[in-house]
Amino acid sequence: MLSYVLAGLSLGAIYAIAASSLVVTYVSSGIFNFAFGAMAFAVARFYYWLNSQHGWSIWPAAAVSLLVFAPLLGAALYGLLFRHLRLRSPVVKIVATIGVSVALPELVKLILGDLADATAPGLAERPLQVFHPFNAAVNMDQVFTYVGLLVVLVVGVSVLRFTDVGLKVRALVDSEALTALSGTSPSRVSLGVWAASASLAGLAGILLAPTTGVSVEGMTLLMAAAFAAVVAARLRSLPLAVGVALLMGVVTTVIQKYLDPSDPLSGQIVPSIPFAFMLLFLLYYAVRGLAGDSAQGGALDRAIRPEGADTPVVVRSEQRRGWLSPSVVGPIITVVIAAIMPLVFDEYWTGLAAGGICLGIALLSYTLVTGEGGMIWLCQITFAGFGAILAAELAGSHGWSPLVAIVVGAVFVVPIGVVLGLLTIRLGNLYVALVTLTFGLLASNLIFTRDPYYNFGQGTFMPRPDWAFDNQTFAYVALAAFVILALLIVNLRRSTAGLALNAVRWSETGSRTLGLSVVQMKVLVSGLATYVAAVGGGFLALNYQASLPDSFNPFIGLIWLAVLVSIGSRSVVAALVAGLVFALLPGVFAAYLPTDWSHLPTILFGLGAIMLARNPEGAIAQNARQLTDLAVRLRNRRAPQAADPPSGRVDDPAVPATEKEQLIPGGRA
Amino acid sequence: MSTALNRPDARTTESRIEAHGVTMRFGGLVALSEVDLAVPPATIVGLVGPNGAGKSTLFGVMSGLLRPTSGHVSMNGDDVTHRSPQKRAALGLARTFQHPELFSGLTVREHLMLAYRVRHAKSRIWTDLVTGRGLRRPPADERERVDGLLEALHLDQIQHRPVAGLPLGMSRLVEIGRALAVDPTVLLLDEPSSGLDTRETEELARTLVQVVEDHGVSLLLVEHDVDLVLGMCHEVHVLDFGVKIAAGPPEEVRANAAVRAAYLGEEIEQGEHSA
Repeated sequence: MLSYVLAGLSLGAIYAIAASSLVVTYVSSGIFNFAFGAMAFAVARFYYWLNSQHGWSIWPAAAVSLLVFAPLLGAALYGLLFRHLRLRSPVVKIVATIGVSVALPELVKLILGDLADATAPGLAERPLQVFHPFNAAVNMDQVFTYVGLLVVLVVGVSVLRFTDVGLKVRALVDSEALTALSGTSPSRVSLGVWAASASLAGLAGILLAPTTGVSVEGMTLLMAAAFAAVVAARLRSLPLAVGVALLMGVVTTVIQKYLDPSDPLSGQIVPSIPFAFMLLFLLYYAVRGLAGDSAQGGALDRAIRPEGADTPVVVRSEQRRGWLSPSVVGPIITVVIAAIMPLVFDEYWTGLAAGGICLGIALLSYTLVTGEGGMIWLCQITFAGFGAILAAELAGSHGWSPLVAIVVGAVFVVPIGVVLGLLTIRLGNLYVALVTLTFGLLASNLIFTRDPYYNFGQGTFMPRPDWAFDNQTFAYVALAAFVILALLIVNLRRSTAGLALNAVRWSETGSRTLGLSVVQMKVLVSGLATYVAAVGGGFLALNYQASLPDSFNPFIGLIWLAVLVSIGSRSVVAALVAGLVFALLPGVFAAYLPTDWSHLPTILFGLGAIMLARNPEGAIAQNARQLTDLAVRLRNRRAPQAADPPSGRVDDPAVPATEKEQLIPGGRA
Repeated sequence: MSTALNRPDARTTESRIEAHGVTMRFGGLVALSEVDLAVPPATIVGLVGPNGAGKSTLFGVMSGLLRPTSGHVSMNGDDVTHRSPQKRAALGLARTFQHPELFSGLTVREHLMLAYRVRHAKSRIWTDLVTGRGLRRPPADERERVDGLLEALHLDQIQHRPVAGLPLGMSRLVEIGRALAVDPTVLLLDEPSSGLDTRETEELARTLVQVVEDHGVSLLLVEHDVDLVLGMCHEVHVLDFGVKIAAGPPEEVRANAAVRAAYLGEEIEQGEHSA
């Protein structure tokens, strides 16, 4: 038993180092670092490059990796991205850090190369020394994890409690504005925090490498497990995060003593333990009303924070609904282009385009839940997976018509989304993101990997309809489904329910006193988004002609979200564009560019999400506005004397800025 | 500022909304202690007091956002203490907030449209999804009512502008417009003149008096502008540290020594000197 406990403490120590880093960066910058796993991978991979590929001995390699490379990486990420995020909305913060988690590992692979064998040494010399205290076994790698945590705690507490730097960090946690007023540069303090955080990420990555290898997946799972400890600490309490991390590690290893190693279920339960921890704590905090949005900074920070700084400005006046308005013409052109693709592409490219359209259907669920509802759900891909599995079971195993199986199968997924919506109704944005990601990981671990659904990764056969067997016809079927669902979403947006949904999104208090039911609205958008995701999953299965459960991993879902939001989370046409880009871009790189460049599409997807820090509305909204402004300038240049008198609409792009100021009472006369 | 207004006089004795012995504790802090307050139809009641007196807390209790530690709230004689804000809104209660609670993704006009529909066509929340009515031009009665309110509050120039980034004064007017669009029988306004200049405050006061006269609305007003409160209210209640220290017609409150000493003294004296 003692061996299990000691092994658990080792695992828990790594979780604790990761959790410490996540807590410190969150409280000091308001950013929950979804890129932690990617940063851990980058530093661990650099250490491996020095130590194993270039023959550096352990300590010089560790010193350069942890004390030079990692701080530089943290500082660079802060300078390029994190410093722009502090005042952004939760969804932009989350998606931008997801962008780093997507782009950084691929960038590292591009520079340092792919590893065929990910097994890696840690900080201990090989062959590994093993000790036997009290008849238990502890190896040197485990000893280093204990020492690593101890060093982190002693140094961290000493710096935070007893140094001038620590005082500044604590001041920054309380109020960035007051810190700045007292003569300390918050940027420099934040830069230091992010540099230190990258070193902690690197330490966790190097310590984890002997167990999971230098792999992005291993580091990402480490991060996801550490999330549980951070949630238990309500994102803020360092001692609680460390305590829960250690407990989680011990439970994870001790429970293996009682599980039958030959039972496949054991292999699914063990990695699920941190997520079970997270769900328990979240439910506890939700019931106690302790998991709302936590306000960052002090009163002065809140007072000077610009409201709605990255609020998408969507004009939905009835006056702009003509058939020739940009909001109508743009989507029509996009759909027409998508419709032309199967006509001009060969079978291979048409297949890719069809897959992109199917993905576009699934992405519409994010348009609903995040774009319209303002809820950051990270498990839409899981609903898509449920839809794929159910549709494939109904069509492949029970002989239903495939399209009927998709439409009906998706109905059975809706209650899951509704229940999740109800459970998360009292949670803050970040907690909702975490609980939905956890749900996705649990479902992926415990359900998707079970036979008969899994079937060695192939899933269940999903036949296409006989009349739509070829890629061209199937692409048109998928496009028709996309257009129908997109029109339904546009109808929802313009409806009274759309207005009410928007109201609930921005002010639950205002909505309740107006007579709106917050629960009804959230259940409505949860149910609709779940249904659309499940239909999208069914179409993806139809495209692959199998349910392929592995393709619905929540971490892939993060890339889906990153691609969509970087193009535009509120635009239905963005879902189609994102789907096509996601499907076609890797094909273009694979077909026309050297194989070494295969990482570039993923890097571009990540960079797109990172760009959200500068342009929170997404590429489509930004480009649409720039094109509209250009058209207005050209029109005004051609007929300056024919300018209409002010229409009274200050949001009208046709009204020049000077006129807008005159129209706003209190503006320039 | 001088606010000379004709007070509506169509008062009846039965109150639309009443607080009976309301006490509200937050841990060891007593925010309200045994507060009684009633607002009859077609009446404007003012609620004044220094910062931290408990005015907004009482608004929270009366609108259903806070449940009192003891005491109860009634509307039209029915106990609504345990009814949700939505239920009270359905009974005709509307309110504004000290810090405007606007819907940043909606335009000014959409705020009023939504409020109007919540009151007059609530089933549209569901039926629009099937009928596609949201894609069509709104019905004439809705347009007429919304246009009228936009004009009365001088919001017609910015009706299609998203509310995110509006100045405070305009945000308050949008909130007031949204509250009026539900055709309330009881209206709770929390510092409605904050952020407005003198002219805008006078126009707002005239609009509110008009609404009370024309529709018999019961208006409860929290306001720091003493002239405005004393000029347009039938009755004024004064809170201090959660305790009601005075109530009565403005003239009585103006003359109340306790009030003058505790809160209003300097401002009233200044007002008298300037007059």
